Amino acid sequence: MFKKNNKMLAAGAVMAAVMTAPAMADNAGRALQSGQEYMVVTNYPNNLHVIDVATDQVYKSCDLPDQFGPGTAIVSPDKSRAYVLSNRYSTIYGIELDSCDMSFRAVLAQAPGELARSMYSFAVSADGKELYSVANPSQKNLDHYVVGDPRLQVYSTDAGLDAKPIRMFPAPRQSYLMQAADDGSLYLAADNIYRIDVQTGEREVAIGVRDWQRKGYGQPDVLYLWPKQQVSRDFTILYAAPKFTDDTEDMETAEFMFGFYNINLETGETETQDFAPITEVYFTGARSPKDPSAMYAVLNRLTKYDIATQKLVAFQELDHTYYVLAFNHAGDKLYLAGTFNDIGIHDPETLKKVGSITLPGGDMSTTTPQVFIR
Amino acid sequence: MKHLKAINNKAHTLEQAVAQDRVEEVLAMNATVGCTSTVDPGWETDVFGGVTGLCQPMEADLYGCADPCWWPAQVPDLMSTHPDWNKGASDSSQDWRKLDTVFPSDK
Repeated sequence: MFKKNNKMLAAGAVMAAVMTAPAMADNAGRALQSGQEYMVVTNYPNNLHVIDVATDQVYKSCDLPDQFGPGTAIVSPDKSRAYVLSNRYSTIYGIELDSCDMSFRAVLAQAPGELARSMYSFAVSADGKELYSVANPSQKNLDHYVVGDPRLQVYSTDAGLDAKPIRMFPAPRQSYLMQAADDGSLYLAADNIYRIDVQTGEREVAIGVRDWQRKGYGQPDVLYLWPKQQVSRDFTILYAAPKFTDDTEDMETAEFMFGFYNINLETGETETQDFAPITEVYFTGARSPKDPSAMYAVLNRLTKYDIATQKLVAFQELDHTYYVLAFNHAGDKLYLAGTFNDIGIHDPETLKKVGSITLPGGDMSTTTPQVFIR
Repeated sequence: MKHLKAINNKAHTLEQAVAQDRVEEVLAMNATVGCTSTVDPGWETDVFGGVTGLCQPMEADLYGCADPCWWPAQVPDLMSTHPDWNKGASDSSQDWRKLDTVFPSDK
């Protein structure tokens, strides 16, 4: 149903895109190979691509239904399915990676006339049996809107194409990224980063953000829309915060720092760690699986910092802005994605560009690439 | 906020919400129903007051701002209000000429 076909290629709009991007091959039924390393990434107008990390070629492409956006994908723990938030942030789809068939669909709205969006807020349990999402509902009436309370909606991943929540709990406002830990708890970033019991909905502050009490620092600021599933099982979010120079806590003399919040999803260990003074803007960052003492960050430049000394070790100018970076499992390739339709491949040692993958179709926008081994 | 002055009805409503300690409701609407209450300077200059921190080129950031309704005053809102704005313009670096200015009557 959602496989690429020749009719699509005959469409005028697609033909125009072919002038600048590789043609879309009919490879939807191409099964993934056990033990092989892949990367999934989505882009306009409605594509879910699987990249072969060994060759850095597009291995296959699946169609996504409905309207695109944001196209954020996460991969199931057994690496058989990609869950994609799309249709203008309103629906989560489960796409079988071997066949491109859709096997799961959850419309977040729960009542007629209700609009419900999820701001990149979804995750799959470590055993793959449940999917979590925070929906922000509102009712659109003839002459006014009624804003509802955010809901944590829990789905069974075998619920099929008309999935309904099996449990619902109140959720904090401003909920966005979430990831599920091995002990069954859910970590949700909102005004604070919460640890949630998915059976009862009870939550506790795992890392204070609005409520952080960090001596010598002012209020942090967080912008992070990329729920990267890391090889290290780290859930990482960047922050920016003023670091005061003395007890007067004077903002005029404060040094602004980039740092990262981290939760290890295997151990539950949390970290709050500065890594660089703010001299430029970064959207995402990650530690290398090969060398966790180094922090990499990207937006208009790709940079590498030594976390212990907070010194810039290397930098690389880029052809254009990239929002998000991702490592392969060995940590010897660094992918830059988001914005346009080309993925930059960089050497993590020198940061030099060593290759590029041009995706069929258009912009990746704010999508998240996910690297995994089948 | 002392340097900002409300000049339209939505901005006045936002000021009222601040006065009534209802800012959280404004933030929630930002994410759900058209987000035109957002007042978020930053598309024009970066955090340092320059332009080098802005995305390069600006087209690289176009759909990243339109998809989540991040800068609805500067870029049409694809989430709720103008979902078809970039129809037929999947590749912003090539198709930007197809992207038109929008007005409230275009909804």
